[in-house]
Amino acid sequence: MIDKLLIAFKSIGKNKNRNFLTMLGIIIGIACVIAILAVGDGFTKTMTKGMGTHNDSGRVTISFETSSYDDSTSGFTQNDVSSIESLSGVDHVKLDSSSQEASAKVQYKTKHETTSLNKAPKHLNLYKGNDTTIYSDDSSNVFISHGLANRLFKGGNALNRAMIIDGNVFIVRGIYKISDFNYRPDIYVSKTVFKQLFAGQITKDLARIYVQPGVNKKSVGKRAVKQMKKFGEDKKMGSYSVSNPDQMSKTFTKMMNYITYFVALVAGISLLIAGIGVMNVMYITVSERRKEIGIRRAFGATSNDIRSQFLIESVVLCVIGGLVGIICGYGLVAIINAFLPFKAIVTVYSLLLSISVSTAVGLIFGFIPSNKAAQSPLVGLLKEE
Amino acid sequence: MLKIKNVGKSYGQFQVLQNIDLEVADGEFLAIMGPSGSGKSTLINILGLLDQDYTGEYLLNNKSYKETSDNLLSRIRGDQLGFVFQNFKLLTTYSVYENIEVPLIYSKNEQHHKRERVEDVIEKVGLNGKEKHRPAELSGGQQQRVAIARAIVNQPKLIIADEPTGALDSKTSKEIMDIFTKLNQDGTTIIMVTHDEEVAEYAMRTVYIRDGKLYHDAKDVFKND
Repeated sequence: MIDKLLIAFKSIGKNKNRNFLTMLGIIIGIACVIAILAVGDGFTKTMTKGMGTHNDSGRVTISFETSSYDDSTSGFTQNDVSSIESLSGVDHVKLDSSSQEASAKVQYKTKHETTSLNKAPKHLNLYKGNDTTIYSDDSSNVFISHGLANRLFKGGNALNRAMIIDGNVFIVRGIYKISDFNYRPDIYVSKTVFKQLFAGQITKDLARIYVQPGVNKKSVGKRAVKQMKKFGEDKKMGSYSVSNPDQMSKTFTKMMNYITYFVALVAGISLLIAGIGVMNVMYITVSERRKEIGIRRAFGATSNDIRSQFLIESVVLCVIGGLVGIICGYGLVAIINAFLPFKAIVTVYSLLLSISVSTAVGLIFGFIPSNKAAQSPLVGLLKEE
Repeated sequence: MLKIKNVGKSYGQFQVLQNIDLEVADGEFLAIMGPSGSGKSTLINILGLLDQDYTGEYLLNNKSYKETSDNLLSRIRGDQLGFVFQNFKLLTTYSVYENIEVPLIYSKNEQHHKRERVEDVIEKVGLNGKEKHRPAELSGGQQQRVAIARAIVNQPKLIIADEPTGALDSKTSKEIMDIFTKLNQDGTTIIMVTHDEEVAEYAMRTVYIRDGKLYHDAKDVFKND
């Protein structure tokens, strides 16, 4: 086996240019597979992180959807909570909100508009301004988006200017940019200010019902919806339903499957073309080395030895191509990462897949030429000069 | 060593060999002479188990390999036979060492002592210091020495040589024939095809082929002319 590997390396090294051109197809194919899989994996990771983990064991969530846009305060009330808790099998109920944002009217001189607002995150990269967060005691400080700064201050410098939010005066201490893939509200205020002035706006439109152990949460959910439809305080202002977080991940999985099919198609076509190149070069190699095959057979090589020799060469050629392809794939991923809003990641799975695929290409497309070499009549081979 | 009885071979209508009977004893040095196209090479292809498509009977060490599988035939060739060809048939991109090593790659017996075996035969044929050279860097005589070293590296009982001095001048031919004589004295059976009478004189016995027929005495070859 080691002897055959050495012969393979020697033979490949003898025709470097020809073999490099043959490998090029595999290099490109594998580099694309690595890059596309890395983008897919990175996207999945980002999405999964964004969706959070749906720890829904032992609880069921019912949601309220308002039918009127004007009335933003409707949802679940404390009376509704008591009403659901009175159902059998329910342990306790917690209210939550599907959106954590509030909306506010902002004004600078004569310009005013209504926009989204939230409490500042722990760390924010500012486009202009020095801080990274707004502390609780900075009650008059706000960060605003670059877009809002442009609209409100007409392109002028907004930093350290005063603006009015819902009738209160705030000072702009920082401006941040919003990317397409990373949603942010237009205004951030301190946690304290948010709690005092805006938290009341956020509708409690989700009721998370924690069921008692051993109780079927689906049936509890259905009964809770029925109860709300009958007795809910805001029943006339919207509809209740059992929310199903699985639906979202199902849609996402479906989308990822389409991406995978597409990757398989692209990679399949490029590797098919590369494989035909490998087959072609192996045919040439076999016909160039008829004398060598004859000598080896005369000195004890079986036809299986000859077949495996050329198969090994074909596989070595493809695996070298695959390894170079992986390195190029890494390079490609690094370039892509400079432009993507999320990070593409190369997984061990995609590396293993690449090596397996290149080995398979070598085996499949090397088989027919190797077989031809193995089955050539010996007397004819020894007449070759 | 070997015995053939009534062996024939034809390509379509053309009869290359007819009713050949020949026996070669252990340790014998046999020369086969004959003009070009007489069937010499066809005969040694059959004797060397390189060609199985013939009629009649061929026993090597009292065994017939007519129905033997291709893979087993390869093993027998590798372990029991050694070939020396007229145009050396060396692998041009490989070194002297690598050329001589070829039969050992496929032999089940010599895997642990490869280096010693190769170095031993290099010494025997007088190629010391040439291990790393390519065939193109060697003279014709040296190339044939490499071919002989390759043929004997597996210590075969029988060496089949097809015109081993055909491409060499008389001085170099003598050197090569001295090697064959030494090998024969050490117990190796040698069957050599040649058209050179001087070379044939190194053999213990000479047989003649003409128009596919084998003659045991030179007089018989020409008596019908």
